[in-house]
Amino acid sequence: MPADQTIAVNLIQKVANQDRDAFGQLYDRFSSLVFALAMRMLRVRSDAEDLLQEVFVQIWRQAQSYSVQRGSPEAWIVNIARSRAIDKIRSIRRMEKSFVLTDDPARAESGENVESSAAESEARMAMNSALANLPETQRKVLELAYFDGLTQTEIANRLAEPLGTIKTRMRSGIQRLRDMLGTQAV
Amino acid sequence: MATGHEHWHERGEIYALGALDGQELKEFEAHLASGCSICEAYLHETCETLAVLHRSLRPEAPPLAIKARIMDQIAPQTMTHPRQERAGWLNWNWWGLGIGAVATAAVALVLSSNLTRTQSDLEKAKQQLAAAQVESAQKDDLLQLLSSPDIRLIELKGLEAAPAASAKLIWNPVARSGILLTNGLPKTPTDKAYELWGIAGTEPIPAGVFRVNDQGQARFRMPVLGQGKTFDKFAVTLEPAAGVEQPSGPMVLLGTL
Repeated sequence: MPADQTIAVNLIQKVANQDRDAFGQLYDRFSSLVFALAMRMLRVRSDAEDLLQEVFVQIWRQAQSYSVQRGSPEAWIVNIARSRAIDKIRSIRRMEKSFVLTDDPARAESGENVESSAAESEARMAMNSALANLPETQRKVLELAYFDGLTQTEIANRLAEPLGTIKTRMRSGIQRLRDMLGTQAV
Repeated sequence: MATGHEHWHERGEIYALGALDGQELKEFEAHLASGCSICEAYLHETCETLAVLHRSLRPEAPPLAIKARIMDQIAPQTMTHPRQERAGWLNWNWWGLGIGAVATAAVALVLSSNLTRTQSDLEKAKQQLAAAQVESAQKDDLLQLLSSPDIRLIELKGLEAAPAASAKLIWNPVARSGILLTNGLPKTPTDKAYELWGIAGTEPIPAGVFRVNDQGQARFRMPVLGQGKTFDKFAVTLEPAAGVEQPSGPMVLLGTL
C-alpha cells in the first residue's frame, strides 16, 4: 500500500475513535479534492460548500464502517461525496421536471452547460494523459455519468443514441482507462 | 480472466459510474446484497480506476470557515467522558478526611468546569437548534411556494449587456413571490448588485438585489411583492449595491409571462 494511503487509513482509524486532530488532518488532506468535485458536479459554490460539510460530518460519524477491503480512503471519501452530490442533482432535476415546459428549454440549456463545462475542462484534461487519450465519445459518456449524475437512460436520451451504444461506450471507456493505468480487472 | 460473472461485471462498471438504473439497478443491488465477493472486489477495483476522473479536476481549496463550521458541528459528540469522572468521585475514600477535603475541592473544580462546559455546549446546541428551525421554516416556505398549482416558469433571456446570461424565475402569482435561478451573468462588481424587477405594464417594481458567484450563478428568493399589480414581465438590471427604486443601470435579463 502506498505510504500516502497508509497515512490516510491510520487517520480514518483514529477518526473512528473520535480523534478530532486526526479528523482535522484528514480534512486538510482531502477537502480540496472533495470541494473541486462538488463544484464540478453542483456548479453552485454555496451548494458545494454545503456538500463538503455534509460529507465530512458523515465521515466523522461513519469512520468506523471504513475498512481497507472496501477500497482506498480516497475512493471511499469520493464515493460518499459523489453519492450525496448525485442525490442533490437528481432531486433538483426532479423538481425542474415538474416545471418543464413542453418544448423543454431548461433541458436545452443544461445541455449547453454540459458542453461549455466540458470545454472548460479541456486544459485540465490535457494534464491527464489517460483521460486525454480517451476517444471523445467515450469520455463524454463517462463525464455525463460521473460528474453530471446522469443515468445510462438519461444519457441515451440526452445524446439521442441507443441505450446499448451508451453502455458499450461506458464499458469501453472504463476498459481503456484500465489498460492505460495498468490496473487489473478481477 | 473469465469468472462466469461477466454479466454482472458489465452492470458493475455502470453501477460504479452511478449510471445504472431501472430493473438492472435493482437486480445488481440484490446480487451485491447476496454477498458476491467477486463482484464486490470488481466494483472496488472499478471505483479505483474511475478515480482518474476526479483527479483530472484542479484541486480547489474551500473557504477556511467551513473547516471551523465542521469542527463545531462535530464538537458535541466528543465533549465529555462523564462515566470516568463520576467513577473517580464514587471511589472516594472516607477514611482520610484531609485527603477527602482536597478531593472534594478537586471534584468541585471538575464539576464546576464540567458545568461551564456543559452550559457552553448547551448554548451551542441551542444556537444549532435555532439555526435548524430557521432552515426548516425556510424549507417549509419554499415547499409551500413550489407546491402551489398556480406556479409558473418564466425564462429570462440575456440581453445585449449580457448575451450569454440566462435565468429561470419560478413565480407564484398567488403568493406574489418566487425564486430566480441565474446562469452566465457577468461577475458582480464590488460596488454593484443585480436587481430584479417585476414589471406591471410599463411600471417597474423593485424585487430585491442579489449577487452572483464566479460562474454567474445565483439562487435568489425574491421578497413578496405588494398587492394591486399584475406583473407581465420580469427583468434584471445592474445597479448600485444597495439597490434603487427605479432602474438606472443596463438591463441584462428580460422574460415575459
